[in-house]
Amino acid sequence: MMSPAALIRRAAPVLACIGLLALWQVASLALKNDSFPTAIEAIRAIPDILGDKESLINILASLRRMAIGFGLAVLASIPLGLLMGRSRGVAAFFNPLLMVIYPVPKAALMPIIMLWLGVGDITKTLVIFLGVSLPVIYHSFEGAKAVEEKMLWSGAAMGLSPAQRLVRIVLPAALPEILTGCRTGLVLALITMITSEMIARQSGAGNILFNALDMGQYDTVFAMIIIVGAMGICLDAIFERVRARLVRWSEPQFDIPLSFS
Amino acid sequence: MTVVPARSSEWVRPVTSQQPASAIIEIDRVSQVFQTSARKGHVALSDISLTIDERAFVSILGPSGCGKSTLLYIVGGFVSPTSGTAKIKGRAITGPGPDRGPVFQEFALFPWKTVLGNVMYGPRQQGVRAAEAEAQSRTLIEMVGLKGFENFYPKELSGGMKQRVALARTLAYHPEVLLMDEPFGALDAHTRTRLQNDLLNIWERDRKTVLFVTHSVDEAVFLSDKVVMMSNSPGRIRQVIDIDLPRPRRRNELLLDPRYQKYVVDIERMFDDGDEGGPAL
Repeated sequence: MMSPAALIRRAAPVLACIGLLALWQVASLALKNDSFPTAIEAIRAIPDILGDKESLINILASLRRMAIGFGLAVLASIPLGLLMGRSRGVAAFFNPLLMVIYPVPKAALMPIIMLWLGVGDITKTLVIFLGVSLPVIYHSFEGAKAVEEKMLWSGAAMGLSPAQRLVRIVLPAALPEILTGCRTGLVLALITMITSEMIARQSGAGNILFNALDMGQYDTVFAMIIIVGAMGICLDAIFERVRARLVRWSEPQFDIPLSFS
Repeated sequence: MTVVPARSSEWVRPVTSQQPASAIIEIDRVSQVFQTSARKGHVALSDISLTIDERAFVSILGPSGCGKSTLLYIVGGFVSPTSGTAKIKGRAITGPGPDRGPVFQEFALFPWKTVLGNVMYGPRQQGVRAAEAEAQSRTLIEMVGLKGFENFYPKELSGGMKQRVALARTLAYHPEVLLMDEPFGALDAHTRTRLQNDLLNIWERDRKTVLFVTHSVDEAVFLSDKVVMMSNSPGRIRQVIDIDLPRPRRRNELLLDPRYQKYVVDIERMFDDGDEGGPAL
């Protein structure tokens, strides 16, 4: 049996979505603009997209690039961030570089990368990689910096070498912070994925969206926006599941700690 | 809470009380200067020389900021002295090692490990087989009074319980010297008293060498064989006092013992007088 409060909590996201769609429907009917289809029209277009083999191949290609870009970025960024957090020398070297790259929209680099690497998968994956890297590096860096010195000393006294301390103490201790960075990175991966496909149209979810826009198929445009949004929600929910499992030890489980000396 | 006798466990070494005392730690003219800015330096420790005998319980007592923790960190190998040398068993200390086990005021437990995982960490690192390390760790957890909490995470424990885990975690890899850095400083008075009693019970069983940093006069006198009094900036040894009270010590007996009271009062008076020499005991 769920309590009324728990029931409301469960239903809230669904209610929010319904509310948003209703607002959209009303706004669209009121504005009567050709380029602003109603929510119902947009939702009707979704099965057409998902039923089309070509579209599905496009969407899967997007997801594949995103997964590769995200995965490689996480694998490269965590070690770099951790090293920066524990070594002043490494931090002094990389910090200015990252500070320069951070505010640059990664998609803005795309025309240049396209000149070097063409308009294919490598370019788009690289842009996603860049987009994901920075928040993951930054959060790994902050997480590693915050690791309690005494915890590392305790490890050192047990005989852990500096490399072992980095992998076996700094990494797990910083994991909650690292995963916060990964979550931001995941959203950025989705954003850079779509923008990269807007700039270099060839395949992908962004390709469907912007082609439809060029052809004035506005219901398809909005249907794609819904699909991309839904992809974002699903990916985030899956990630959140994994994250919660990995850092269960750091989340408050009891409101009041057991009191016992 | 009662401390369960753990005589049977193999890590408790038999004590032969008539052994001649031999030095285990030798600190020779150690100074520590922290560079606060390009020009200025803060002298945390000035010309400290101290010898600590094997199996002795030695407290370093002083006001905050007198460098007493720094001295402990130097023995631990966590901090290198600006000048002078520290030796353990005749070997110069160049870094941390499992022969010196720290217990910090901040507990410094591994929060991603359970109580059992924390205690097993040292033995596993030292190559003890998992089953054996677990059995030893369970005995230790029971000894520090935490039986039943093996699978709890540190965040689920109170401060006193965390410090019990930290003590068990350090004892688990059999350091020859325990380095305790104000271990009960973050605990409330009641918990502190209980942990002091339990620490003495555990210590009196196998008598490891203990170097114990504290700013509490009662605590130092209650626990120690020897109290090293330090004075403030620059940190210097002011006097070393032998605490000649019988063991095993029981709190309720000791508090009524005039000898104990005299030690406490004399030491407090010396700190109050503030001048370098202080009255002789």
